[in-house]
Amino acid sequence: MKHSFAIKPFVACLFVLMLLLCSCGNHAGSGKHKKIAVIVSTLNNPWFVVLAQTAAAQAQALGYETKIFDSQNNTSVEADNFENAISAGYNAILFNPTDADGSVSNVQEAKSAGIPVFCMDREVNSVDAATSQILSDSYSGCVAIGKYFVEKMNKRGKYVEILGLVGDNNTWNRSKGFHSVVDFFPGLTMVAQQSADFDRNKAMEVMESILQAHPDINGVFCGNDAMASGAYQALVAAGKANDVKVFGFDGAQDVIESIQAKKILATGMQFPKVIAKTAAMYADEYFKGKRDFPKKMPVEVELVTQENVNDYTGYGKKE
Amino acid sequence: MQATTTTKDYKQQLAKLQPLIALFVLCAIISLLSDKFLTVTNVWNVMRQISVNICISTGMTLVVLMAGIDLSVGSILALGGAITAGLLKNGVEFSSFNLYMGFTILGACLAGILVGSVLGWFNGWTITRFKVPPFVATLAMLTIARGLTMLWTKGFPITGLERNFSYLGTGWFLGIPLPVWISGVVVIAAILVTNKTKIGRYIYAIGGNENAARLSGININRVKIAVYTIAGALAAVGGLIVTSRLDAAQPNAGVGYELDSIAAVVIGGTSLSGGRGTILGTVLGAVIIGVLNNGLVLLNVSPFWQQVVKGLVILAAVIIDKANNKGE
Repeated sequence: MKHSFAIKPFVACLFVLMLLLCSCGNHAGSGKHKKIAVIVSTLNNPWFVVLAQTAAAQAQALGYETKIFDSQNNTSVEADNFENAISAGYNAILFNPTDADGSVSNVQEAKSAGIPVFCMDREVNSVDAATSQILSDSYSGCVAIGKYFVEKMNKRGKYVEILGLVGDNNTWNRSKGFHSVVDFFPGLTMVAQQSADFDRNKAMEVMESILQAHPDINGVFCGNDAMASGAYQALVAAGKANDVKVFGFDGAQDVIESIQAKKILATGMQFPKVIAKTAAMYADEYFKGKRDFPKKMPVEVELVTQENVNDYTGYGKKE
Repeated sequence: MQATTTTKDYKQQLAKLQPLIALFVLCAIISLLSDKFLTVTNVWNVMRQISVNICISTGMTLVVLMAGIDLSVGSILALGGAITAGLLKNGVEFSSFNLYMGFTILGACLAGILVGSVLGWFNGWTITRFKVPPFVATLAMLTIARGLTMLWTKGFPITGLERNFSYLGTGWFLGIPLPVWISGVVVIAAILVTNKTKIGRYIYAIGGNENAARLSGININRVKIAVYTIAGALAAVGGLIVTSRLDAAQPNAGVGYELDSIAAVVIGGTSLSGGRGTILGTVLGAVIIGVLNNGLVLLNVSPFWQQVVKGLVILAAVIIDKANNKGE
């Protein structure tokens, strides 16, 4: 009697386990039910929310089961996400890395498990780990903004640069692109260069303080659109919104509206939706047998100004 | 005997003045280096900027005086601001009842503060009911409230709020910016509570020695829940100011604010082990941080160095504080 009591639950467990294994086996075996994981660096920023949701929606529209994994800007959380995605039997990963170097080993792990990885927006520093990298060309985008900046400032005046997180690659790519043009014009003096961590409120506070030291500035270039909105708000409060030209970068919904309302002068439109859709389509083609993908596929950043703003909407072109 | 007590008294007096002396030294240095620092507009500018931190840090001081900690203030600030902004912009719709509720500015603000209070109450409840350490309970709330903010905003900033709402953050009343009024009222109320009321004495007693306080008949749990609720409400008030000043509620607003707030409390001379400290000290601490932030930007110090300098100032303040309280 004692024995049967101990054995019954054990047998039951074994049976359930077998059932589970069978269903898993079936799942992986059927070619039609392929699954695509979307692993994104953060969902704490609307730009990446758009990127992740578009990638998932496109993959779903192509008939795949999808799930979004949030790495919370943390490379070790990202490693967990990769392990979970691999062990849960996902067949491809649409990937937005947290760190160009730190993420390489995660991509390598997926590759050795036979799972193709398609990088979106940010790159990983490895030539062959990812199947393809679809990248936003921030440097060239900021070169274009720099040219427009010089034109609108009439090649002279004092300006301020508000940087993003100083530990972030994108911050310096954007800054270098901008300065590669603007620094050739001796009439343009940068009176302050400060960081506001890509944050709207910090940008407002930094701008308020800068306006105290330099009430006579003519322009401000911000490393993203949230900071451009914050800087503009500080200018409004100081009654200088009409005297200072504001330039942003990203193509966020509220800045597109601000450009339409002639508040902000220009922004660089990145195309998270285009990047995400391309990545999902590449994964689909991979399943259908295609293997010769471009290792790097740059997606151009477009200059949005008050003249052409009506062609655009938040995070993309009007369709 | 007499001599030792007077030196101890003298030392205690000096310790209370310390943040003030540090502030004067800091102001003197910055105004020597920049003639733009001590101008009327810049002083208002700094006051307006620190009003948010003062609101949060006042609540944090009450918590720390009880030897607690509240890491969730930044997330609660974001949620409070987002709730208010969302209600102002979209109202609430109960489609199953075919009912739509619009919100006035006052109603939306109260709703934001109410949500902050409820989350603060929840902090206090988990800490007292389940004996969860405050560090862990509020750390959990830090992610819960951030997640709720994401759910409410769907990850996007809520912008284009009613024009009159911006008065709260950018308006003036009797020659003083409105955010400064708000933080001033909060500070005065907190000073009255800590110095003149029973609950104020209970807060110090709990921080001094929790067991002794319990044995003397104080309902410790009720005091704790009340204080965490207040801290949550004040964080939401900070959220209203931020949202109004920016004319936008950001889902990632207030990230890291708990650290600025704890720094203000510590620089102000409040002991992290509880029982010792003042609201006024915290205000000075917040002013020091605000002046430092402002001065470093005015002088266009490299962003890399700014973080180092801020850390060193916090460290110096605590070391001096420790040296002065060796006797206790």
